[in-house]
Amino acid sequence: MIEAVHIGKSFYLSPEKKGRFASVRTLFSREQREVKAVDDISFSVGEGEFVGYIGPNGAGKSTTIKMLSGILHPSRGEIRIGGYSPQKDRIQVASRIGVVFGQRTQLWWDLPVKDSFEILQAMYKIDSRTYRRSMELYQELLDMREFLDTPVRKLSLGQRMRADLAAALLHDPPVLFLDEPTIGLDVVAKTSIRAFLKEVNETQKKTILLTTHDMDDIEQLCKRIIVINHGKKMMDTTLDDMRRQIGLPSLIQVEYRQPPSLGAELAGIERLELSGNVLSVHFDKGKISSPRILAEVAGWGEPLDIQMKEPGIEEIIRLMYR
Amino acid sequence: MLMLYRKLIAASLRSQMQYKMNFITSAATTGMIMVLDFVILSAILHRFNDVAGWNIYEVGMLYGISSASVSLYRLFAPEVNDFEKYVVHGEFDQMLIRPVSPLLLLLTRNLDLSRIGGIVQGVAVLVLSLAGLAREGADLLWLIVFSPIAILSGGVIYFSMALSSAALSFWTHQMRDILTFTIYAPANASNYPISLYPGWLKWLFFTALPIAYMNYLPMLALLGKGGGWYYPLLAPVAAATALFLALTFWKIGIRHYHSTGS
Amino acid sequence: MVYWRIIRKSYRRNLQYRLSHLINNVASSIFGLVFIAIWMGVLRGKAVHGPYDAETMACYIAICQSVLWVTTFMSPGLNVQVGVRSGAVSLDMIKPVHYLWYTLSQEFGRLLYNACYRSLPIGLLLGLAVGFSFPSDPLAYLLFLLSLLLAAYVGMLLFYLVGISSFWTTEVRWLHLILLSLVFGFGGQMIPVDLMPGVLGQLAPFLPFAAMIYYPVMNWLELAPAYSIGVQLLWAVILTAVALAVTKQARRKLEIQGG
Repeated sequence: MIEAVHIGKSFYLSPEKKGRFASVRTLFSREQREVKAVDDISFSVGEGEFVGYIGPNGAGKSTTIKMLSGILHPSRGEIRIGGYSPQKDRIQVASRIGVVFGQRTQLWWDLPVKDSFEILQAMYKIDSRTYRRSMELYQELLDMREFLDTPVRKLSLGQRMRADLAAALLHDPPVLFLDEPTIGLDVVAKTSIRAFLKEVNETQKKTILLTTHDMDDIEQLCKRIIVINHGKKMMDTTLDDMRRQIGLPSLIQVEYRQPPSLGAELAGIERLELSGNVLSVHFDKGKISSPRILAEVAGWGEPLDIQMKEPGIEEIIRLMYR
Repeated sequence: MLMLYRKLIAASLRSQMQYKMNFITSAATTGMIMVLDFVILSAILHRFNDVAGWNIYEVGMLYGISSASVSLYRLFAPEVNDFEKYVVHGEFDQMLIRPVSPLLLLLTRNLDLSRIGGIVQGVAVLVLSLAGLAREGADLLWLIVFSPIAILSGGVIYFSMALSSAALSFWTHQMRDILTFTIYAPANASNYPISLYPGWLKWLFFTALPIAYMNYLPMLALLGKGGGWYYPLLAPVAAATALFLALTFWKIGIRHYHSTGS
Repeated sequence: MVYWRIIRKSYRRNLQYRLSHLINNVASSIFGLVFIAIWMGVLRGKAVHGPYDAETMACYIAICQSVLWVTTFMSPGLNVQVGVRSGAVSLDMIKPVHYLWYTLSQEFGRLLYNACYRSLPIGLLLGLAVGFSFPSDPLAYLLFLLSLLLAAYVGMLLFYLVGISSFWTTEVRWLHLILLSLVFGFGGQMIPVDLMPGVLGQLAPFLPFAAMIYYPVMNWLELAPAYSIGVQLLWAVILTAVALAVTKQARRKLEIQGG
């Protein structure tokens, strides 16, 4: 469904000059620095796959998604979505994909949610039977009935994301691009969004490419993972494979009243870091459970506060280099 | 296509109504401000009789056409005029993922209804000038026939210049300063006979910023100031050419769109 | 002193825009050239009206375009309405500085920046195009500077009044546009106010708008009437009193209704 062959995207920056008449010199400067946001990435995603596309901030995730969806033109390489090039056949591709940017809604800000759907129906030329059927389905799955008549600007973030997802799926596209769909949501909202995505992937066989910072999204949704860093593809593997390779890195932070006296390290604990009264325990969730760790660290001093931290993508990448 | 345009325009008007937008006040203010502008011009011409041989009614013809044209453009394309924000904040992204032309989506985002006041002012100046010319014994038939064509052509010419500026902002990431060159200064200049301006500026107004074709050249012919009979026909021809070039440039520009944001 | 520090900070903050402003200066100069060309067309082959021969008129317009950046092209409402909408104004009002002087200092820093990076380049460009004109009397420079400062001060107060009206209205945009067109119409930007026909020509020199543009330009050209500084001073005093009174009312409204 999705083919990317040696794609790359470069941006050019002219470095800011320092010193006297700096602004004038910058204006007339021909000197430019090439920044490769995406550098020679290839992959292919088959129908019905659910792929996590992950990497640290600025790694080139959004740039890739924007090239796949036809927003940006790649500097090099070829892209095919269901056989069409998003650059040459933008219109064909547009009606075959659904796109959600978590940071930014695509609905009409001041209008009731329902109005946005009606506009999209006209825009994608959806016949009224199909339209009614999808509306019923998504109202049900996403529980949208209560806020269909509310203006988008008055929705909570979770409601807005559900409406955005329904809007992206209205024209029944075989491919979905989701850029950080769970960003900023609370746990309940995240759970319902994940359940929904799992459902459309399994029952409707939608091909989904998802970027996220949330390791739980990946663990619960993606069967395959592509990791990129500095614009280059680092790894393209199954979730199970990655688990075998680097485990399930997790982090618990404990703040003690007094500096703790550390006990013996348990199997499954990767690393202990102590700074002042705060102890960071890096461990592998696949090998040792969090309650087991908690029980252990409670004995090392008098805990004031305990925090379970989401492992960052940065941690994953660090582990991959190990 | 037309139906979709209507639907999208209706949606954006409905969004505007959500805010207590006082259309009457804003249109009236715009109109009044522009009337004041014309009063100043009349004051100058009242004192000095003519500018480069054009009397107040003749300049009024130029002024009315230019004023109504630029207001027409700003009524229908406020978001083109404000395109910088779409490039700088990456808001243009969403217009590229739809199976319709991004330009259509842009144009339907908003209508600036307050500009109706400007169109009314422009037409009023035209009517006053026609009345004045009639008193001087001029033949009005062709002037009246040509005025709507001139306003439409002028609107298209302004739109084309603005669209080219917007396309330029795909590279430069800024547009406000460019607009001073491509819209505001020409709009001001075209209120008066183009013959006033120094050579290089005149040359610009006949080529890259083709405002001379919408009012100056046709009026040379229609007011008997020594233009060829075909000059009025140049207005729609120039408008079509400018639009074609602007659309081409716009399409090239989109390829260079650097979406920003995360 | 605290206000001086605010002025300097605001000046520095504006420095980051100087690249795009350099481009804009060329565009602004074209505006000036268009006006000058129009006047050349108007005056061609006609008897000289008062002191305005073609050459003087060209200089008048050129200096006018340059002066505009210090006395007229200010932030709409001096951005008071922005603070009112966001609520930040309550914080500004309880600062141990007077809100009026605080707001004016902020703007004045920007105007100083404008003087260096907009007025000077534009004056230079237009001067190159139509010829330079410098006062012959050293005293004229002093008078010009004084007149310019008063013009900027009167302008800031008028803009401030538009901005602070946002305590009572929801939208200051239209008020701003009306003020701007009054300044452009009756301030002497397009036509020296004494050339306006009839009553307008007699009245306009005594309006605050002329104090913003007409008088500083005429002082540079050494054509200003002796009372010019007096008119400016009078408006400065009147508008200061009004601004102080309105600020007091605004503060009271804030205290009673919480903004």
